[in-house]
Amino acid sequence: MDTRTLRALAPLLTAAVVAVLPLLVTDPFLLRVFTFAGINALVVTGLALLFSYAGQVSLGHAAFVGLGAYACAFCTVRLEWPWLLAFAASGALAALGGLVLALPSLRLKGHYLAMATLGFGLLMSLAFVEAEPVTGGVDGFGGIPFPAVGPLQIRTAASLYWLVWAMVGIALVAAFNVTSMRPGRAMRALHGSELGAQACGVDIVGVKVRTFVMSALLAGLAGALYASVVGFVSPSVFTLTASITFLAMTVVGGTSSLAGPLAAAVLLTLVQYLDALIPGIPSETAQTLQSYQEDIYGLAIVLVVAFAPGGLAGVWRRRRMGGDAS
Amino acid sequence: MSELLQFLIAGLKNGSIYALVALGFTIVYAATGAINFAQGEFFMLGGMLCVSFSGLGLPLPVAAVAAIAATAAIGGAFELLAVRPISDGDPLRIIMVTIGGAVVLRQLALHLLGPDERALEPFTQGASIKALGIAVERQTVWIWALTAVAVVALALIYRKTMFGRAMRATSIRRDAARLVGINASAMVTASFALAAALGALGGVAVAPLTQTAFSVGAGIGVKGFAAAILGGLGNPVAAVAGGLMLGLLESLAAGYLDPVYKDAVALLVLLVVLFARPQGLLGGSGRANV
Repeated sequence: MDTRTLRALAPLLTAAVVAVLPLLVTDPFLLRVFTFAGINALVVTGLALLFSYAGQVSLGHAAFVGLGAYACAFCTVRLEWPWLLAFAASGALAALGGLVLALPSLRLKGHYLAMATLGFGLLMSLAFVEAEPVTGGVDGFGGIPFPAVGPLQIRTAASLYWLVWAMVGIALVAAFNVTSMRPGRAMRALHGSELGAQACGVDIVGVKVRTFVMSALLAGLAGALYASVVGFVSPSVFTLTASITFLAMTVVGGTSSLAGPLAAAVLLTLVQYLDALIPGIPSETAQTLQSYQEDIYGLAIVLVVAFAPGGLAGVWRRRRMGGDAS
Repeated sequence: MSELLQFLIAGLKNGSIYALVALGFTIVYAATGAINFAQGEFFMLGGMLCVSFSGLGLPLPVAAVAAIAATAAIGGAFELLAVRPISDGDPLRIIMVTIGGAVVLRQLALHLLGPDERALEPFTQGASIKALGIAVERQTVWIWALTAVAVVALALIYRKTMFGRAMRATSIRRDAARLVGINASAMVTASFALAAALGALGGVAVAPLTQTAFSVGAGIGVKGFAAAILGGLGNPVAAVAGGLMLGLLESLAAGYLDPVYKDAVALLVLLVVLFARPQGLLGGSGRANV
């Protein structure tokens, strides 16, 4: 099999492995871990679009996840909406938040968006705690029902896993279509040279704003899924730390790639649950690893950006090019 | 009336701190064209190191100077280790590195200095100074004095010394500065050290009034940046003015509306300025710099 067919088959093979995993893994906790990996992958796919293809960073994506999670909780529990409607509303609310942030900050050169998103993230962490009538304050928001589509209830560990990863699949196909067609070329042109892209007639602000709104939408949907899978939302989840984690996954994954960030999101999520994956590991090792987790993320961002800006995807690309030459 | 005066005093106190942090953003922005997301962590390090040094038994002035010097050294080392390797000078990569570096600095502070909130003793003991029906804490006077000294010293360094002229030349045009024999990359390192020292000074000065902890950096960073952009990014005078204005706005909003809104003011200022006047209140009419 030559490399071209292999490249065409790789996404299908990966999808097949992801799809049959619940048949091989029966431990519900492990399935839950893989479900979380899917939720993170959904957020990171949106960030990858933004970072790799539009050259922008967000330090507030946890806030969009939180908006989606609280919106889903509020709509299903207080308003008693059907799940699918609440799910769509969660995505829409996050996307609207993204639009409000992106419009002013993306008109400007430089990276005002990063600072605006950092401020937005901090403000939303505050709001999740303070807006107690809506969010339940520090105690959190409980009793969120499982996802349901019409009469079909999705409540087993395996079916939740399939739901989340199906969303990841849809997001990846959508993102791939966006990146490989006209908007994607515009985004890449933007990353290469803003002035050059503008000279070629690319509406740079429009492209950036649409990319940011799409990434906020994916984060909001991921939040709604999180709320429905866990059944409980607490403000301590949607902090700056979580935003940095998403960013680290994206950066380690690499530029101009969707597969790299996907792989990084899954790997870095699994690292958090190392004690569940490797049964023999001493609990002290797992604990030490956990207390240094943020250090690892911060250091990973510095090292990858300073010394290997292509990330995982860049390493693959270089190996492939090396292979072709030999 | 005295209530209003009291709010103004509190606003100018916090505003001075924001001005110091905003100056740090301005200096690094002038040298690199990038926003340094670790600026707030320098503020945190200043306060935390000063508390730690004074806990080791050093007299307060020595501890304060040592904390500022150590933070400046950390700022310089940060540039050498993380920013210097980015050979193409791409602002996006510099920003990313400072984001990662900020996390590393915060976590180092957590591991080495502990997770607890800590406070410093006031620089001079004694009751608040009372006049005209208002009370001014002694530490507030210290904050104003130290900020004023730092701003004047900075202005003198930039105007009168060879080093300051070299810094300004580098920020105007890097390759031209190198052509006349200025070591431009050393100037970038110096800008990080200087920005770190200013942030640390703010952290030291405010530590007796508000408790400090390893986690305060991100919040003060956003406020300092809001101050910098409110005045006009890249202009030191505007940074100071922006800091004082932001402090006043915050204090009036917290006083007359609800203390909950205090932290929201900076973000709203940030977004409104981005929307309406991205060159800042004191920036020129041209938009080339934004």
